[in-house]
Amino acid sequence: VPDLLTSARPEALIARVAALLEAGRTGVARPLLDAARRLAPPSAQLSQLSAMLAIREGRRDLAQSELDTAISDYPDNAALRKCRAELRHCLGDTAGAAAEAAEAVIIDRRDPTAKALLGALMLELKRPQDAIACFADAVTVVPSHPGYREGLATALEAVGDYEAAFATLTVGIAAAPRNIGLRNAAVLLAVRQQDFATALELAEQANSECLADACLFGLQGHALSSLGRHEEAADAYAEALKLGPDDPSVRHLVAASGRVPPKKRADIEYVRAVFDGYAETFESHLIALGYRVPGLIRGAISQHPGILAGLPLGPALDLGCGTGLVGVVLADLPIRPLVGVDVSSRMLEQAKAKQLYAELRERDLLLALAEDEASWELILAADVLCYFGDLQDFFRLASRHLGKGGWLVFSAEEHVGDSNGTTRYDDWVLHRQGRYAHSFAYIERMIREMGFAVRTLERQILRRETDKPVNGIFGVVERPRT
Amino acid sequence: MKADTSRDLLRRGIPTAELTLLNPTTDPQAPSEIAARGMVQLANKLVTEARTSLRLAVALGDSTPVTVLNLALAEVQAGDRDRGLELMREVERCAPGWDEPPLRLAETLRAADRNSEAEVAYQRALDLNPRRDAALLGLAGLLIMRGQGQQAQSLLLRCCGIAPERADAWDALGLALLLTRDNQLAESAFAEAQRLSPRALLYARHRVDAAMAAGSHEALLAVLEVSHADDPLNPVPVAALGILLGRLGRRGDSVDAMEAAYALAPDSAVLAALFAEYLTRANRFSEAETILRRASELDPDNGQYRDAHASIMLRLYRHAEARHELLASIERNGERPGELCNLSNATSCLGLQEESVELARRAVSLAPESGWVRRSLCNALPYRDGITGTELLRALKDCSARLPRHTLPPLTTNNPDPDRPLLIGLLSGSFKAHPVGWLTVAGLETLDPATFQIICLAQNAAQDWMARRFRSLACAWHDVDGLNDVALAMKARELEIDVLIDMGGYGQGGRMTACAHRLAPVQIKWVGMQNHSSGLAEMDWIITDRWETPSELAHVYSERPLCLPDGYVCYSPPPYAPDVSLLPALTNGHITFGCFNNLAKITPRVIATWSTILHGVPDSRLVLKTHQFGVVETVERVRKVFRDHGIAANRIELRGPSGHRAFLHEYNDVDIVLDPFPYSGGLTTCEALWMGVPTVTVPGEIFASRHSMSHLSNAGLTDWVAPDLPAYVELAVAKAKDLDALATLRSRLRGQVRVSPLCDAPRFGRNLGEALRYAWSEWCDKADRRLRR
Repeated sequence: VPDLLTSARPEALIARVAALLEAGRTGVARPLLDAARRLAPPSAQLSQLSAMLAIREGRRDLAQSELDTAISDYPDNAALRKCRAELRHCLGDTAGAAAEAAEAVIIDRRDPTAKALLGALMLELKRPQDAIACFADAVTVVPSHPGYREGLATALEAVGDYEAAFATLTVGIAAAPRNIGLRNAAVLLAVRQQDFATALELAEQANSECLADACLFGLQGHALSSLGRHEEAADAYAEALKLGPDDPSVRHLVAASGRVPPKKRADIEYVRAVFDGYAETFESHLIALGYRVPGLIRGAISQHPGILAGLPLGPALDLGCGTGLVGVVLADLPIRPLVGVDVSSRMLEQAKAKQLYAELRERDLLLALAEDEASWELILAADVLCYFGDLQDFFRLASRHLGKGGWLVFSAEEHVGDSNGTTRYDDWVLHRQGRYAHSFAYIERMIREMGFAVRTLERQILRRETDKPVNGIFGVVERPRT
Repeated sequence: MKADTSRDLLRRGIPTAELTLLNPTTDPQAPSEIAARGMVQLANKLVTEARTSLRLAVALGDSTPVTVLNLALAEVQAGDRDRGLELMREVERCAPGWDEPPLRLAETLRAADRNSEAEVAYQRALDLNPRRDAALLGLAGLLIMRGQGQQAQSLLLRCCGIAPERADAWDALGLALLLTRDNQLAESAFAEAQRLSPRALLYARHRVDAAMAAGSHEALLAVLEVSHADDPLNPVPVAALGILLGRLGRRGDSVDAMEAAYALAPDSAVLAALFAEYLTRANRFSEAETILRRASELDPDNGQYRDAHASIMLRLYRHAEARHELLASIERNGERPGELCNLSNATSCLGLQEESVELARRAVSLAPESGWVRRSLCNALPYRDGITGTELLRALKDCSARLPRHTLPPLTTNNPDPDRPLLIGLLSGSFKAHPVGWLTVAGLETLDPATFQIICLAQNAAQDWMARRFRSLACAWHDVDGLNDVALAMKARELEIDVLIDMGGYGQGGRMTACAHRLAPVQIKWVGMQNHSSGLAEMDWIITDRWETPSELAHVYSERPLCLPDGYVCYSPPPYAPDVSLLPALTNGHITFGCFNNLAKITPRVIATWSTILHGVPDSRLVLKTHQFGVVETVERVRKVFRDHGIAANRIELRGPSGHRAFLHEYNDVDIVLDPFPYSGGLTTCEALWMGVPTVTVPGEIFASRHSMSHLSNAGLTDWVAPDLPAYVELAVAKAKDLDALATLRSRLRGQVRVSPLCDAPRFGRNLGEALRYAWSEWCDKADRRLRR
């Protein structure tokens, strides 16, 4: 049985480790680095690679000690400084990371990567002007580098200079026409500016140059949808799904177009993405749509016997509380404590600012109910059932967590059988807009099966969209006392 | 230096210390000196010189047993085994108390596969010297080969006691313990072998096997993951980690570990070949080819490396190079079934269909009872001109009947409720950008998840975006590479798969032998080397349609046809397909026919027929595009055949490989596609349609001959189907003469195809769902009747 002999050369191993780390392949890099350290004398490069690998492996203490020693041995090595900047960033010390990156810039003023790193950290520190200076320097050194241009464009957008941001990306695209990141950045910039025609033009131009990319198709779908070209949007989303089949948001939108069967509920990631992106304009948008549900809820709860008797009501759980609109309309009623649950952290930030909730939980509502051990006197679900098709779990869990005599107040969009989305199921459909609608009979059946007593179950107009009423179902049901 | 000293050093195992003896400076004529020189030469592997010296020594009168025995060894090593054995027996007679001659005799006999005689000789050596470790080990090795683990252990325990430093003895003990399923003890024995010989890859491999058998793989994993830190220059623990990770199904990590091991020992042919094997499993063929080439360079005499290299070149579509490599290997080593099968494949892909069939038949004649060898014939026949359904079915049945089958208990766990949600198992090595992917994934994505849940059983799973589509549509994914056929069948049964759809057939990564063990109560053949019936008795249905399998051809299938109302596949066009151009003829001033199918489909009769069409359409051109035209020799050969039919060279353009997008883009140079026969275009026809180019086709009897008819019919182009060859020629010529109609069709064809059943995924999903439900209900009916009986 022959022995396997080591024949690797140390310089080849070191070069290989550097390439592997660049490619993020730490599993291969580790044994090769250990071998290189045995074969080659100590050097700044070996220390830097060791520290980088330790960072990638999550061994931050090891990286820290490696870098501290190496920097004291090689104080003028920019690569070691950049590496320590990365480590500090990983540790959440953005300011410290920026200081290290600045040291790297001082050590090697021609190093564009140090400048770009400092620029990125400046952006995080909300110092976009400084970021612009850094990225501009990096772009000057390597004008065709897509990453530097993307960084510069982001910084320019952050100071509101959209034209310059756009021009930066346009020049970058001309210099690196196959770079998909720059294309996406340009389309996204146009989308954020609500300039959907430009976004579409850019996306189509990329498509015609055969830059097939899931994100690009997704953005194209978004632009088309915003322009009211829904069938074409569905085509674009379907193409996005081919290339990014594991993207739950795209899958949901494709399902909404009827191209693939809908799931029983919208993916949590989809809902979170929608509302995180929507949080800042959510309330003004709903007001513009004549949103009626909070008012309906207030009206119903005002008739609660306890409230009518002047007694406090609680605890109350607001599922899908969003920015806290329901909390606002209930603020003058003796409902406490009021706990809000929402999947979007950005929406919860808005709710928190209102200081109306005793507690706010960032959680999917079904998970929150499933894990909850409390018993509630009031559970509210305003405009959230539209992210669920199958409501069995929702009503079952709500029933389990309502105290005897407790109320469940909810709204749902009504499926009246003339769906513009799929009609695969009689009980519910997923509409093109990505929201589910439910038939009145289905809701009635769920309520009955879960043993609720109906206090109110009626058709209501929930809001208006494109000047048309959105028909819905509004319900107040009670868990029987016996 | 004196001969006595040299012998003493040799005994102490220091052959190179005596190289000076190779220069005959001291009394070269003395027989004892000549013999000593011969022994040194032998120890230094200078076999011819050693034999000459030792023969001379004996001829000059040195007949001492040591000299004669060394001459015997030299004779054996020089290739004259019989003479060597004769001399050894002579020495044994002359020196009856010496254990060395029977030991050497035993080892020579064992090397000649004369194991019974070897056993007797080993026993004689042990009778003379019961503590002779080499004899104990050698005899134990023979017992292990005979499966007599217990007896081997007894010998090996003695051996390890006598020579505890012998790593090979501990290794053999481990193998003997594995035979008696003392797996933990076996792992300990291998661990000791590894401790003694830490750079021996074989022992590390054996230890992984034992740990897997003993269920102690997690502990070994923990050991291996840190062991490189103790000895970072040793590639063996890293390679062993790779092997173990591979056995645990962590393919990516296993390839990474192999890459690291190979980087530590880039001059090791063994590691290169091993790394290539893992790269191949991970579908990284191009890298595997480079590494295998390196392995062959490092060890040019190793036939296995060359065969593996040829196989990987086949997978890279480098058929001509693979064929050369295989022919050279056969020339060197003689004809062996495996190589002939590979050669048949390479030959078929070069468009030499008759020769390919002949090679496959030769392979079958060498191994007539091997189902796997017959598989090559089944894969060659569909391309052969004039093949009939009956002939192909017979070959398929001959093949499938010979697949190895182990008796498994009957399937009883699936609940025969016709209406309940079903678990559908997809079995394939092609869940990737491959015809299987392009033609099935969209339909599978639209199966109603409330009634059908999909489990993918993946062989050599890929990581491309098409593979991710399959992963997304599946409720569970199982890599099955590490499972043998029985284990795979048991796995599928444990999962309680109701309907198993095979999407691999007899092709690369296909697991038809597992299907022979029945993975599910209902087994269905679908896309994936679906050139015809599977011939497999255990395959219940074949998914097809009325164009592929009209009722009058159902008798040439072993399965029942599960006919979908539209097409049997649903094409998912690539998101990066270029736009359709205007009809090229309008700017070129002449018609351009094209065919982008595999050269394997282009028979001499196809070329003759196309030549007739070219003669019928003056000034027309023909563009053929296939991987094989990347090789000048192939291009020249095909060009000559056209020339022999009177077609000028400037009318034929033979284009080599390109990326998929560029491939599609080249349809913008083509006005009409000419389908080959009898093996028609499948995915290629769909791609041409998507690029606005219609195909003229002529269906035959076998499934593979009717793909284009199915796709064209579903796309609304039934008028492009000819009933026979004369009509095929007439149709092509007639279509070529109506440029207006061609231009109009081209301008609307993509839109037409997009909304046609060929691409209507939701419609296909409903059809497929109904068909699966029907097949399931049939089984439930039968199960119900069985229960009532």
